Amino acid sequence: MRTFISLLKANLNVHFGISSLKYRFTKEKNRLWEPIAIIIAILVGGGSILAMYSFFLLAVFMAGQSLGHPEIVITLSFVASQLIILIFGIFYIISVFYFSNDMSILIPLPIKPGEVLGVKFITILLSEYLIALPMLLPAFIIYGAGSWQGILYWLKGSILILMAPILPLVIAALIVVLLMRFINIRKGKDIMVIIGSLLALMVGLGINFFSLNLPQGSEEEVIRHMIESNTGLIEAIGNKFPPSIWATLALTYREWQGWGYFLLFVGLSLLLVVLLYWIGNYFFYKGYLTGQEIRRKNTAISKGDIQKHINRTSSPILALLKREWKLFMRTPVYVMNGLAGMIMVPIFMFMPLIANSEELTQVLNYARDPEYSLIVILISLGIMLFTSSINMVSCTSISREGATFWISKVIPTPPKDQVLAKLIHSSILSLLGLIIVAIPLFIVVAIPLLHLTILIILGFLATGLINVLGLIVDLLRPKLSWNDPQEAIKQNLNAFFSLLIALLVITVIAIASIILISAQIGEFWVYGILALIIVVLLVPSIYGLFSLANFRYKSIEI
Amino acid sequence: MIEIKNLSKSYNKGAVKAVEDLNLHVKPGEIFGFLGPNGAGKTTTIKMMVGLLIPDKGTISIAGYDNAKNPLEAKQNIGYVPDNPDVYDRLTGMEYLNLMADVYKVSVEDRRERINYFLDMFNLTDAVGDLIKSYSHGMKQKIVLTGALLHNPAVWILDEPMVGLDPKSSHLLKEYMRKHCDRGNTVFFSTHILEVAERLCDRIGIINKGKLIAIGSMDELRHGDQAGSLENIFLELTEQ
Repeated sequence: MRTFISLLKANLNVHFGISSLKYRFTKEKNRLWEPIAIIIAILVGGGSILAMYSFFLLAVFMAGQSLGHPEIVITLSFVASQLIILIFGIFYIISVFYFSNDMSILIPLPIKPGEVLGVKFITILLSEYLIALPMLLPAFIIYGAGSWQGILYWLKGSILILMAPILPLVIAALIVVLLMRFINIRKGKDIMVIIGSLLALMVGLGINFFSLNLPQGSEEEVIRHMIESNTGLIEAIGNKFPPSIWATLALTYREWQGWGYFLLFVGLSLLLVVLLYWIGNYFFYKGYLTGQEIRRKNTAISKGDIQKHINRTSSPILALLKREWKLFMRTPVYVMNGLAGMIMVPIFMFMPLIANSEELTQVLNYARDPEYSLIVILISLGIMLFTSSINMVSCTSISREGATFWISKVIPTPPKDQVLAKLIHSSILSLLGLIIVAIPLFIVVAIPLLHLTILIILGFLATGLINVLGLIVDLLRPKLSWNDPQEAIKQNLNAFFSLLIALLVITVIAIASIILISAQIGEFWVYGILALIIVVLLVPSIYGLFSLANFRYKSIEI
Repeated sequence: MIEIKNLSKSYNKGAVKAVEDLNLHVKPGEIFGFLGPNGAGKTTTIKMMVGLLIPDKGTISIAGYDNAKNPLEAKQNIGYVPDNPDVYDRLTGMEYLNLMADVYKVSVEDRRERINYFLDMFNLTDAVGDLIKSYSHGMKQKIVLTGALLHNPAVWILDEPMVGLDPKSSHLLKEYMRKHCDRGNTVFFSTHILEVAERLCDRIGIINKGKLIAIGSMDELRHGDQAGSLENIFLELTEQ
């Protein structure tokens, strides 16, 4: 047990960077403003998202109460958080169980595989609370305070909330550990990333599909329907994954029935943990080691092919752009994060239109009416910007280099050219996002070609601005120390900052649009002035990026 | 070729002095071996020379270019190989070499000649079409070496280049280092293998606790005592 605890301590220290944080706060006091600024940004950004989420839950609670089912708010939060943990858990577990550098140190130690797995599992579990607590606590508090619950509710609830991530995470771990035993880890990992992403995509589509069954009307009516309907989303998922319902029943049933469900929930969680430990002892190392025995494909290329390759010369910027492109496209987790989101948004956007033909005609009639073309274009612009800015390409482009960043520092290519290659790369992907939204707009909404061109130009300029600002964020605080590419993109706060920047840019454009529309000037004047505003912001940002690159490529030490 | 003046670097706000007031001059045609115990400041010095770390104080000039004032010109004259070959795992060896040739602006003729030469020398021709992530440590080391030397830089800066190389490649590399310096160029490398340093280097510098404690040819280091091996000299100097 003592070995387990000291191993756990060391692992937590490394994973959460406790020693380096301590160092940061005690030794580098002049750089204290950085973590403080980050904490403030997270509090403000995360706080406003949390506030919105809490308001939504409050609405759900009130609607539920009027129907005699106030507990739906708890079911909703448990189902949602456990589902998210299950999906993200798969990625997280692959990365921490099989791709962290410490495995080569841990395996030779005289410790049981199950214990090593346990230590890693607890580490991930603690990180998952960062997702679970903000999702569960508001629902728990709203229901508890709203229905005047007694002390037992708060006690049982606290335990249930702490136990909530265990079940989905154990299931994710069991899936990964068992699959890894039978598939080649190196290839397997790429496959798992794709499977996980497709699973997420399907859940997203599923949620969207369920929400199509909802009637149109006020928010409260929608929620009422959701609660009334037996085929509603929550119960549908709850039926597939009963533990989420057990948590609700444990909290809402009084007396022995409630305790029964409580014990069921806690008992199953603990039972699965024991099962994981047992399976870990048998399969964990075997799966890991089988994966290590990789063979090189030996795709020997002929002398002639080598000459052909050599003859393909490029300018340094083009060569670096090719590097960015290949490294991005050959890393499934980047592709899935970068491209899947861009494809999902338009599907979500247009699926309701396709499913509901009556509504479709109504919406299309408005959209196709030239009188509303300005509004349609501006709303489309907002959707385009959102779609193409969630790809996280620019705000992780320095971070993605990781330990290979030394190459960028020693080559004789000016930093300005290096970030330009990155900017071009992210702009190409953003343009792809613009086009993905533009195609359905053209086909379904029948936006005239002239307007579509204007839309794409405006979108390209604005995503350019978002990409430049994203690159600036990444230059200021790159995450270069990672073992697995997932960490560069999924455990990178820059992605969150970049999303805030995108929302800020969209807000600025929206405010400008409202002012311009209320000034009642001609439609094309509005586009012109918007373009001018974006360019006025874009040009100094690019200059800022270039001079920052010159400074940071020197000062980032590796 | 390499001129280091009053170079200092500390960590922890001056609490740990990694390199302290280092002065060093390496002439054209010289192979210079840089020795020292673990943590003595070898890698820190090398990283400052190639621009990976910023010195607190002092200047470094490579092939006549101050690496702080004219970093790009200095970099163009350096071929650097780090002690740990972290390279782009998801590029093939060939793609990596072509990338290096492109960023160092190597002409088609030169890259054809040199890529073929090094691939033969390091026995990499069969592997060059594979992704680098399938390479062994030694193969990665060889591909980084090849990439670093493609532009025929005047100054090679190599951090423990023999680690991971098989005996044949190591032997060929040493021969090539000699040839390179005979053409009036410079090789600066760190190593823990004292026999290599003793046999190969024109001059040797020994660094300990951030300070250069000895510099000179083997003869100069022996102070006339012909029996003294580099190992004895090294142990004597670094244990003081």
